[in-house]
Amino acid sequence: MALRILYLTVACALLAGCSNNPHPPPFREKRADGTPWQASYRPFPDDPRSLDPQFSYDTLGHAVVSLVYEEMLEYHPLKTDPYELIPCLADGMPEPISGSDGTLAYRFRIKRGVYFHDDPCFSSGKGRELVAADMAYAFNRIADPKVECPVLSTLAEFVVGLQERNDEAKRTKSFDYSKPFPGIRVIDDHTFDILLLKPFPQLLYWMAMPFTAPVPREAVEYYDGRSHDGTIRQQFKFKPVGTGPFRLVEWKKGLSLRLIRNDNYTATRFPTEGWPAADAARYQAMAGKPIPFLDEVDFRIIRESIPAWLLFRQGYVEAAGLGKDVFDTAVSARQELTPEYQARGVWLYKDAEPSTFYFQFNMQNPVVGKNRKLRQAISAVYDVDLEIDIFMNGIYLNAQQLLPPGVYGYQADFKDPYRQHNVEQARQLLAEAGYPNGYDAKTGKQLQLTLDLTVDDAESRQLAEFEKEQIEKLGISVKVEENLWATQQDKMDRGNFQFTASGWNADYPDPENFFFLFYGKNIPPEGNNNSRYANPEFDRLFEKMRAMENSPERLDLIHRLNAILTEDCPMIPLYHPVAFHLSQPWAPRVVLNPLVSNGLKYTQIDVAMRKQKQVEWNRKPMWPLAGIAAFLAAAGMFAYRWSQRHG
Amino acid sequence: MASYLIRRILYMVPIIFGVMVITFVLFFVVQSPTAMAKRILGPKAKPEAIQNWLHNRGYDKPRFINTQPGATWWDSQFVHQMKALATFDLGYSDATGESIARMFRQGAIPSLLITVPSFIFGFLISLSAALFFVFVRDSRTDLFGVILCVAMMSIPIQVYVIFGQWLIAVKTSYLPAFGFYLSGASTIKFLVLPVILYTLADLGGEVRLYRTIFLEEIHQEYVKTAQAKGVSPARVLFVHVLKNGMISIITLVVASLPFLIIGSLVLENFFGIPGLGNLTVNAIRTSDFAVVRTTVYLGSLLYLVGLLLTDICYAAVDPRIRFQ
Repeated sequence: MALRILYLTVACALLAGCSNNPHPPPFREKRADGTPWQASYRPFPDDPRSLDPQFSYDTLGHAVVSLVYEEMLEYHPLKTDPYELIPCLADGMPEPISGSDGTLAYRFRIKRGVYFHDDPCFSSGKGRELVAADMAYAFNRIADPKVECPVLSTLAEFVVGLQERNDEAKRTKSFDYSKPFPGIRVIDDHTFDILLLKPFPQLLYWMAMPFTAPVPREAVEYYDGRSHDGTIRQQFKFKPVGTGPFRLVEWKKGLSLRLIRNDNYTATRFPTEGWPAADAARYQAMAGKPIPFLDEVDFRIIRESIPAWLLFRQGYVEAAGLGKDVFDTAVSARQELTPEYQARGVWLYKDAEPSTFYFQFNMQNPVVGKNRKLRQAISAVYDVDLEIDIFMNGIYLNAQQLLPPGVYGYQADFKDPYRQHNVEQARQLLAEAGYPNGYDAKTGKQLQLTLDLTVDDAESRQLAEFEKEQIEKLGISVKVEENLWATQQDKMDRGNFQFTASGWNADYPDPENFFFLFYGKNIPPEGNNNSRYANPEFDRLFEKMRAMENSPERLDLIHRLNAILTEDCPMIPLYHPVAFHLSQPWAPRVVLNPLVSNGLKYTQIDVAMRKQKQVEWNRKPMWPLAGIAAFLAAAGMFAYRWSQRHG
Repeated sequence: MASYLIRRILYMVPIIFGVMVITFVLFFVVQSPTAMAKRILGPKAKPEAIQNWLHNRGYDKPRFINTQPGATWWDSQFVHQMKALATFDLGYSDATGESIARMFRQGAIPSLLITVPSFIFGFLISLSAALFFVFVRDSRTDLFGVILCVAMMSIPIQVYVIFGQWLIAVKTSYLPAFGFYLSGASTIKFLVLPVILYTLADLGGEVRLYRTIFLEEIHQEYVKTAQAKGVSPARVLFVHVLKNGMISIITLVVASLPFLIIGSLVLENFFGIPGLGNLTVNAIRTSDFAVVRTTVYLGSLLYLVGLLLTDICYAAVDPRIRFQ
């Protein structure tokens, strides 16, 4: 008996002494100079599929790729209105070189003294200097069918040589990397020109996306995923080697990705301007300093939202998104932090995303495609504000146009005349469309429409029901077709729908990246014009606008394009999403631009405050242990007596 | 014995083949390979990129039979996939291109670290509890036991997990709410809570099952004989009934052994344990058909091996049963 109590005491002591910190110890406790090692722990919803910059095209991949690799240009981390490109690996902004019919090339100069990460793929183990040939190699990779670059066909339309090299490789079933890439003219080790087939001002945005990040040929060839002398080397897409502020040192699938600071990083420094005046003191302290401030970034893969939230509550991760299931815990009805989280000192951020969600009509459908008044009527009857209140915690922005705020050409004061939730106007339009009170004037039959939606959980089913009811206020009947994501995609590709809900997130903040969704030459399978909207006037203006640098004339064209879409109504703009995020008191956010995915290079944390708060938030009460011990002791006594009695 | 084994193993072939045909068809009914490619490459991927992806993985071949002129009829997706599985050439994940064999090897250890202790504790606790309830059968304690067990069976594992994380990890801060890394003794702190919850979640059903088995035994003739000879009730139960009841129990337990390696789908996902359960859930979520079909294949193999083991055990433990 005494022995049993001893065991129990030991078990309780172990339990009480054991830390509930879920992280492995950081790489080091202190830096070389004795100051605390800054390790930051971030929740990450899943493993990235690939860290190959020429292949990766998802948020998760980019979150890591953009810390390991850098591109010629990047976004200013603080400026959003308008967004601004600044040089990163490039020494100054590129110079356009004009041909007789517009801009046909851009000349880039590469900063001197930029080195790739130290890695065994280099013969000395030391990273070598970045040169212009690395850019030519990156573009060769974009053309290589084996790399599967998802934006090849977009770039091939404008950049010299991509299409030919791709066709040639498909024909010969191999890619000859010894051939120079025809679209890049290497002037010297630190200067190159990108040659264009036609004017393409958006190229500069592409030069800030991971697809155009320089990669060392040594790494691609070294990390081939095969066995060498008995050890299997990783595949390049899991072992990135770049010039960026962090190096990936460990990736445990399903668990974590750990990056540590690239000590040789010199390419960029903290910006010296662009911050909001209200926060000047904080930013001035960082202005012009070498970055990154963090020594280690530990992305923890947490696929379920509840554990992610628990770890945030305990202070073990620095940031949290606010999903529907935890929104009310942290945010009050007035969209402020609840008193509990205010007292904790947590930071709340309201991020407007550069995206637009909309209903879109299939313009090839004989009922909705040929009847503009009908589309306008549906637009006028729909109560977007109510939908936002019920389903989006009231925080999304009501959209009046295709372009989201911050994108060049967005008109803050624009009101879509058919999107003001006016039931009277809607009925009037419907009557003019030939369906007074929802019945076909000729046949007397009720109009029935089919709405295709992705429905995969209770919430999306409720939303579908809401959307149906809103439109049925017109007196017509709406049948909701519930699809799984894959089926929905399939229907959109094949044009097998009447109308549906959709959305687009900016690749870059240029109106071209939104209006191209309604460009006649982008009708599937060629592109993403799922509405199959074909309007020669729109296409003509779009082509003109696309080839222009920003100017009052371009602004005028953008406004005209918007006016055409508004009147023709191939889509009904619904909302621009806003996401609420939380940061711990010791890790206030620095970056203000939602397009920046390498924000961690500017971030710093207060390690001492974190330590203190973690202790404060994870106190261990002793009474439950005492309770368990008492219960077990009582059970033991009972069992002992019982065995005595029943022998 | 040998001929029996060979016959049983041959029976397994058509069953596995059937399972694979159903999986193959179901997966493509739910979504086309094109949709799968879109999901993996991102909804913005261009048709050319998708075509290229499909081609590189053989998903652009005909489904079952190749009727294209100049092609051999067996040059189809189904034949290629079945051939690869039959030769245990597990191939590469559709989503990440990782070697599936490697993914399975890495996932097995974390899964076993959870399931083996849970299995042992669960077995011992439920056996003891069942014997206790049989001993006090038809009393109020027994009735209470039945109610408790049914209640425990009815609660889904998610509820155990969420409540456990909230109570043990958040309210009392004793153990991590989440996470896992292999590093000697400190791995234990990540195992305690999942093992407790996994054991608890299965306990109700096991106790009920074992109790039923023992209750059946207690009405046998040999029990009456022992009682008539004046053997004490405790000895009758713990020696005579236990021994005979174990025959059925062992066969049941052996059948479940191969499944330990698969791990727990829900638990691993909620605790972020990188085991095979997590791997499976994630493969389904990301439409990674290569991993799903391998999991189904290995899962059905394991199931059949379990059944075979059961039969062998049954014959080995119970002298009345003979191989035929």
